[in-house]
Amino acid sequence: MDKRHRVVVTGLGMVTPVGAGREAVWASLLAGRSGVSEVESLDTSAYSVKRGAEVKDFVPDGYFRTQDPARLGRASQFAVAAARMALEDAGLDPLARDPTRAAVLVGTTLGEERELERYNDWCLGGREQGAAPAFMLRWPAHVTASHVAAEFGLAGEVATLPAACAAGNVAIANAFDLIRAGRADFALAGGTETFSRALYSGFARIQAIAPERCQPFDRNRKGMLPSEGAGVLLLESLESARARGARVYAEVRGCGLSCDAYNMAVPHPEGAGAARAMEQALAESGLAPRQISYVSAHGTGTTANDRVETLAIKQVFKEATASTPVSSIKSMLGHMMGAASAVEAAACALAVYHDRVPPTINFEEPDPECDLDCVPNEARGLRVEAAMNNAYGFGGVNTSVIFGKCEV
Amino acid sequence: MGHRAVITGAGVISALGDAPAELYAALCEGRTGLRPSEPGGDGQVACAQTGRLESFAVRDYLTEGSIYPLDSVGQLTTAAAQLALAAAGLSAEARAEREVGVAFGTVFGPLRTVAAFDLKIVTAGPGSVRAMDFANCAFNSAGGQAAIWHKLRGMNTTIMSGFASGLHAVAFAAEKIRLGRASAQLAGGAEVLSAEALFALDGAGLLCRPARDGGEFPVPFDARRNGLAPGEGAALLVVEEESAAAARGAHVLAEVEGFAFSCDRTRAGEAAASVGHLARTIGAALDDAGVRPEEIDALSASANGSPAADRLEAQAVAEVFGPRARALPVTAVKSMLGETFGASGALQTIAMLEAMRGGVLPGVRRLEQFDEDFPLAGAVGRSREVAVRRALVNSVGPDGACCSLVIARRGD
Repeated sequence: MDKRHRVVVTGLGMVTPVGAGREAVWASLLAGRSGVSEVESLDTSAYSVKRGAEVKDFVPDGYFRTQDPARLGRASQFAVAAARMALEDAGLDPLARDPTRAAVLVGTTLGEERELERYNDWCLGGREQGAAPAFMLRWPAHVTASHVAAEFGLAGEVATLPAACAAGNVAIANAFDLIRAGRADFALAGGTETFSRALYSGFARIQAIAPERCQPFDRNRKGMLPSEGAGVLLLESLESARARGARVYAEVRGCGLSCDAYNMAVPHPEGAGAARAMEQALAESGLAPRQISYVSAHGTGTTANDRVETLAIKQVFKEATASTPVSSIKSMLGHMMGAASAVEAAACALAVYHDRVPPTINFEEPDPECDLDCVPNEARGLRVEAAMNNAYGFGGVNTSVIFGKCEV
Repeated sequence: MGHRAVITGAGVISALGDAPAELYAALCEGRTGLRPSEPGGDGQVACAQTGRLESFAVRDYLTEGSIYPLDSVGQLTTAAAQLALAAAGLSAEARAEREVGVAFGTVFGPLRTVAAFDLKIVTAGPGSVRAMDFANCAFNSAGGQAAIWHKLRGMNTTIMSGFASGLHAVAFAAEKIRLGRASAQLAGGAEVLSAEALFALDGAGLLCRPARDGGEFPVPFDARRNGLAPGEGAALLVVEEESAAAARGAHVLAEVEGFAFSCDRTRAGEAAASVGHLARTIGAALDDAGVRPEEIDALSASANGSPAADRLEAQAVAEVFGPRARALPVTAVKSMLGETFGASGALQTIAMLEAMRGGVLPGVRRLEQFDEDFPLAGAVGRSREVAVRRALVNSVGPDGACCSLVIARRGD
């Protein structure tokens, strides 16, 4: 086997309902603050549910230097903002690097859905001349990744990788492969999503939205809360990080990707696909389950997910399950969809770096079917040798990414 | 050393047929899949010819089981997957033992579904939408549906990188196989047109327009060209790890020897990449394959009748091939299928695989007049005999994405 490059995380950027940027978001997660409130960007009078988590007061201008943010949709603006924060956090100047050796991989579920809303509203309003939305330039999903690339002059592997709620992990896993194989020196990998009436209506229609709070693993959990934002990780080869004296948060040790091939929106009832993804990641990392100090769960707070996820974890971790903290930051951030697993990955890298793990908040009553140590309500300090990030998306996509300590 | 990626089957649903041999015969005869079309939706779009799938009936392919959960692009993709798996001889038993995955490229994806879903929310209220439609709104739904139908439990990836998405997906699959990440992948893409897609293309000025002297010219490389004619289709290759293919006695059509992808937005307008950038990408694919330009027997061009993009490709190929560019045999199947976006990369590849087998390279239909300095004299209107052992396939998008693939026939 050819010598493969080691891949490390050197920068983190995020736009979330609890704030923007690594420091603000990490502090908020450790403090157990919730970003959930009454939905404002959508008229919820026709819905039985009213709550979600939105990014408030987002002003894109400060994050843009090359392009005019008004030419981009909201999801792309989030992505560019998170990417800029990640690059600055890493202290990496993209203009000083070979652009063809950089990758940009951005996950999403529906991309620029608000542009589609704009188009439909325009059609319903009589298709007023001169006000036609510039649909081709703003809506197709690929423009998000290519706008991020264009903002920083990057020209290598550039793609939007839609994988619904697992998209962030999918982007990270593919960036990992590229850098490992020597096809890229660094990559911006993450995900983005914007609040939209389609997402809110869809989840409301399948009665997946909780009326009040997101309570992963709790006996009385009532569902998820739609959210929005972006998370971007700067991944780099270890050589590149060392050469420029970069701070390394964590190393990407291994990834696992599988497909349930069972149902579009419902996980396999025994969690077999999820277990396979975890096992693949462990095998690639050369780690045993007991060496995983923390698991960032998919933990949406729906009855089905949390139960099946528990089953899957037990299949893999067996007797180590009881001693492995498993928390869901969706309890605080809501479900950021395409961005969720990217922000959760960032939290894993920070957990490894800081030896602290974020809590699952709103936890009141244990569920015997979800008998995990879910780090209830309070963040915890512990030595985090390795953290596993799990995410499961529509289409039966199962993903696991493992982050480990890295002494540079 | 390491794993090699080979092609062991292909499935295609196109405006010129749903079997590679049938499609190839039509291309060689110079038949067109472009038909006069109705103006889309409520508005007028400039282009009056499209390569729609007039007679696609999903039950012709998926004879048992409930098709109810599938939307139009999901149906098309799942049907093409059926054909590809059958062609490769990958039975249900084989798929149970091995993880076969999906690498799927598309531009518009489930646009028709998600636009209708959103419209319904507004016109009939949020309670009126169907859960089934919601699942199909996710951009990765077609790949997911094909996996559910055919029990494909391997890595499942949807790649959206613009017009080059489909070829990018083939390159992606080949790379995963080289890395030992996958042993078999259905790779390619699909596209379904919708009023929204036509609106988008029209608004971006990409569609061919009626010319003063009548007719539209979505004709690759022709001096009179004035835009693309949009088409529909689905094309999936079975890309497999060589020793796994050998172990099950699969027939190998070709090897994916090399590939490269990049994205360059140096220029504004219809063709964003620079000539130098596209030339470097083509060169990188040749380097990756370990071959020199003179070892390429034919080119399947991405050209679709776009004035600037076709020119960009011709110049970039000329830069890479130098004096050899004049003699290089060139085909451009979008002259007959139109621009099928996410399906185009695998469609071009399938046509080239057939040309390798049949010994005839399809001509570029209606190509009669040439730009003054057009460097590719090997692009001609009629089909002719060409012995193709190794070919280059390009996919170039107006947004700056470029993908090149090198395939070589196996055996004989």
